[in-house]
Amino acid sequence: MSDNNKKWFSLNINSKKNQNNNSCGCGKPSGGCNSNTPNSKEISNEEFTKAAINASIGDEIKKDGFDQVFDVKMDRRTAFKKLTASLVIGAGAVSTSCSVITDDESKEKAQIDWEEQFKGNYKLMTNEEKSATVDRLVRSYQLRTGKNINMSSKNAEDDVLFGYAFNISKCQGYMDCVSACVEENNQDRNSQMQYIRIHEMKDGKGLNFNEADDNYYHEVPAEGHFYMGTQCFHCDNPPCVDVCPVQATWREDDGLVVVDYDWCVGCRYCMAACPYDGRRFNWSTPEVPEEEINKDQHYLGNRMRKKGVMEKCTFCVQRSRAGENPACVEACPTGARIFGNLLDPKSTIRWVLENKKVFRLKEDLGTEPKFWYFMD
Amino acid sequence: MVKTMKLIGISFLITLAVISCKHNEGDYHGIHERITKESENFKGTTISSDAYINEIKTIEITEGDHTFLIPERKSQIKSYACSDCHTVSLSELKDRKNIKKAHWDINLNHANEKIMNCATCHNGSAMDHLKSLTNTKIDFNKSYVVCSQCHTKQFKDWKGGAHGKRIASWAPPRLSNTCVNCHNPHDPHFETKFPDRFNTQYEKERK
Repeated sequence: MSDNNKKWFSLNINSKKNQNNNSCGCGKPSGGCNSNTPNSKEISNEEFTKAAINASIGDEIKKDGFDQVFDVKMDRRTAFKKLTASLVIGAGAVSTSCSVITDDESKEKAQIDWEEQFKGNYKLMTNEEKSATVDRLVRSYQLRTGKNINMSSKNAEDDVLFGYAFNISKCQGYMDCVSACVEENNQDRNSQMQYIRIHEMKDGKGLNFNEADDNYYHEVPAEGHFYMGTQCFHCDNPPCVDVCPVQATWREDDGLVVVDYDWCVGCRYCMAACPYDGRRFNWSTPEVPEEEINKDQHYLGNRMRKKGVMEKCTFCVQRSRAGENPACVEACPTGARIFGNLLDPKSTIRWVLENKKVFRLKEDLGTEPKFWYFMD
Repeated sequence: MVKTMKLIGISFLITLAVISCKHNEGDYHGIHERITKESENFKGTTISSDAYINEIKTIEITEGDHTFLIPERKSQIKSYACSDCHTVSLSELKDRKNIKKAHWDINLNHANEKIMNCATCHNGSAMDHLKSLTNTKIDFNKSYVVCSQCHTKQFKDWKGGAHGKRIASWAPPRLSNTCVNCHNPHDPHFETKFPDRFNTQYEKERK
């Protein structure tokens, strides 16, 4: 609806401009249309009609009823919001006639669902929109389960670029990191999805992933073996981001490669593009027992996912942006995992990069992973 | 006419040179170049580790160019201070016969008997302290000094942050475990054990 000439989908980055022109996102002439469009100035019906006609394309100047509202240049989101508003009113009307008690709650639920369904890409949201969607998700969880969660929409901090180093002489293959990751990030317990893989490699064979075993169960460290962990490397030049047809995954300013689970269409192009097997797909609805759910969440991190979307390691964005170490770093009993700010010349990660013999996997691909390996 | 042409030519070349030299902001040849360039004007962040370490009792140490926090040790040792029990000197204790050995539960498994015994680290003349190889008193809180006498390579890596475990937060101020927080000084190696989990789903899928 946004552009009559286009037969393909594209992100409408001008949405803000359009909203400003019409003063109100949903197209209602008066304020109070929506939770996340503050400061909407009141204008008269006449002015609105005029603006709407001016903004519309085509030669027809005379329009009536439906056309005045819908035949206006607008983005997909605004259009759906208009539909939503009317549908919610309809749904509300039905429930009022049927029930007296559940009225408010179900109406709110419906409102949240619709607004969530038709919200924009998180990457393009303003801070207000981000906190609005987070508030909706928290409220929705509360309405559905009666439990409270904390969800953050904290943005990347200036002068921060996250990096990771892994000491392959120290890792003993205990897999404490894997367990901590699963618990921290609310990963599906049924499919036993894991972001981290620990590869058991034979001494003297080099980094031979073909012969390595990443699902061992015997006493570790095993004689004549060493251990090497892989996960998402948060490439500075991430191929997974380039191939995403809907821009549901991108690199944040602090270097984290993140996924908007609500924008992902589940095509798995990124999974195919990643040379490191860093991405995971939800083949079924992820299930986590209620008492095991980590309720400290971030929109881009460990909030509950749904069936058919991609996910991956985010360096525990909910923890790292708050200043805490990622769960794997905290869980490692050997200190093989080092995490920090690459832009801080005094950070430990920088000391490792400058003083140890570091290497990365598949460096020749030019993906520039921010995950280095080193030895004692 | 020729002069003007020359002038135009030269100015064209200069503009070309300027344009071709201009780097777009954020265009780097690699991550290492980006890190170097972007950290030149590093001003620090608002993020601090304070919130995560306020419950941990720490002491600040400075070794070489590195200043950081380590967990305080003495309050963590159950039977400290040693002098609470050791009221008489060791030589006097040795003369006493038929008494139960106090530290029977400690099995020293660190280097071999020819190289190390209790007195290599513990100070017989000042029981509440450790000692260096040259018999200088070393505080229990700074036990890493004792370790660093032999383990020089590990000590260097630990100071920089490549060895040992950083706790709580990646943000400054830095808090790192000291040697004895991970290694039992009497038995310093890591034990073998079974991995924390086994992925039965992987096993099924790969059959």
